[in-house]
Amino acid sequence: MRLPPFQYLEPTNVEEALSMIAVHKEAVKIMAGGTDLLNRMKLRLIKPTFVMNIGKLRNMDGIDSGDTETVIGANTRLKDIAGAPLINKKFRAIAEAASRVASPTITNMATVGGNILQNTRCMYYDQSRMVLNGLERCHKRGGTVCLAVKGSQRCFSVYQGDMAPVLTAFDARCILERKGSTRTVSIRELFTNNGVTPFAIGADELLTKIIIPKPEGIYGSAYRKLRLRGSVDYPLASAAAFVSVTNNRKVTTCRVVIGASGAAPKVIDVASCETDLEEIAQKAYECAEGVDNLQMPGAYRRKMVSVLTKRAIKAAINGIKEGM
Amino acid sequence: MNEMKKTVITLNVNNETYELVAYPNRTLLEVLRDDLHLTGTKESCGEGVCGSCTVLVDGTPVRSCLTLAVAVQGKEITTIEGLRVGEKLHPVQEAFVNHHAIQCGFCSPGMILTSYALLKEDPRPTEAAIRRALSGNICRCTGYAKIVEAVKSLAEEGK
Repeated sequence: MRLPPFQYLEPTNVEEALSMIAVHKEAVKIMAGGTDLLNRMKLRLIKPTFVMNIGKLRNMDGIDSGDTETVIGANTRLKDIAGAPLINKKFRAIAEAASRVASPTITNMATVGGNILQNTRCMYYDQSRMVLNGLERCHKRGGTVCLAVKGSQRCFSVYQGDMAPVLTAFDARCILERKGSTRTVSIRELFTNNGVTPFAIGADELLTKIIIPKPEGIYGSAYRKLRLRGSVDYPLASAAAFVSVTNNRKVTTCRVVIGASGAAPKVIDVASCETDLEEIAQKAYECAEGVDNLQMPGAYRRKMVSVLTKRAIKAAINGIKEGM
Repeated sequence: MNEMKKTVITLNVNNETYELVAYPNRTLLEVLRDDLHLTGTKESCGEGVCGSCTVLVDGTPVRSCLTLAVAVQGKEITTIEGLRVGEKLHPVQEAFVNHHAIQCGFCSPGMILTSYALLKEDPRPTEAAIRRALSGNICRCTGYAKIVEAVKSLAEEGK
């Protein structure tokens, strides 16, 4: 599969990158590792005029731990996150998610920023032109129908990133820069929950850093995902859990985030810390969209969301016990 | 039609410098095979799944089908052709031959380069580490057992 034509931009620093996207806006697509963008281009899902390679911008790279927060550069390779002792020790779920993205060679290339900002997917959308030419134009392709849910007025494409659910479980924030200004948003605010346009980011903005606040108290975290093979595949259902307790083992926070269950990661509203595990799993099930638009049946994926929710919470609690 | 300009691309492949004029939309895989005629690197899925096109960039395995040639200028690229030692096969290649870890051979360049990178990083990997490292390289012939055996033989020798 050949790539469509484009003009190549390679800024040498963040300021230059911001100037370039300020000028070209929607005409430019940003490439970090390239593992998501180039595939979308090969399928002709996007045909940008410009491709801007930010993969070499070293000041957007690395993990920096401070007293109150840990900062991960958006260009940090997933392999480096998965292998970082600090991440493994303090943010177990993040290390687990990074190590389970696609395959090891992909994690050598792919970045955390690129993983967060990967587009939503659907078996009626992520296809070659030959396949798509035989299909009615769906919402995500500018049409008026959904091929996954007949009669639907909206797009049911699925967000299949691994990193956003775990970063949401840790209540992470993102730094978005544009020429002349910077804003910090909760990672939840990055998502629109609209499959057609999944991200609330301006065309002239660049995700540069992810900030993880230092969790309070004693805590554990875990990430569990369902996929066809033990490697390579995107999650078909996933759950991230963050659990914190007081010194006398009273649960203070239980934050569960499910993935591959809609157009954005979904935070399961755990009203009380004493909520029963089965009750949380049931809520996760109810929040998940079980649509037949990925490799496994939607009903099965939905059931697995509740199973993975329980497994992630149990693993997070076990992590606390091991640390005590 | 998007106007695209050709650019001079300088690549360091297997310790040799190549200069070519190419469009920026050429992948490293296309340039290696079509321009430099280094056809040991294989194209299969073309979407980063199978691992056939794996090459090393600064010693790290990457998918050359998802790498722009223009983006890896100034880096050391190693293909399967660059692994041999003079006229001899590299020990990793020899181990694959000796353990019958090759059948059709299409996945072998990617398997061998990934194994080579693993052994450089960890000369004595466990079987689990070997399987994990090779989990992004798909083989449709061998069933993987012989490939793992070949790498294990080197791990045991600490090569």
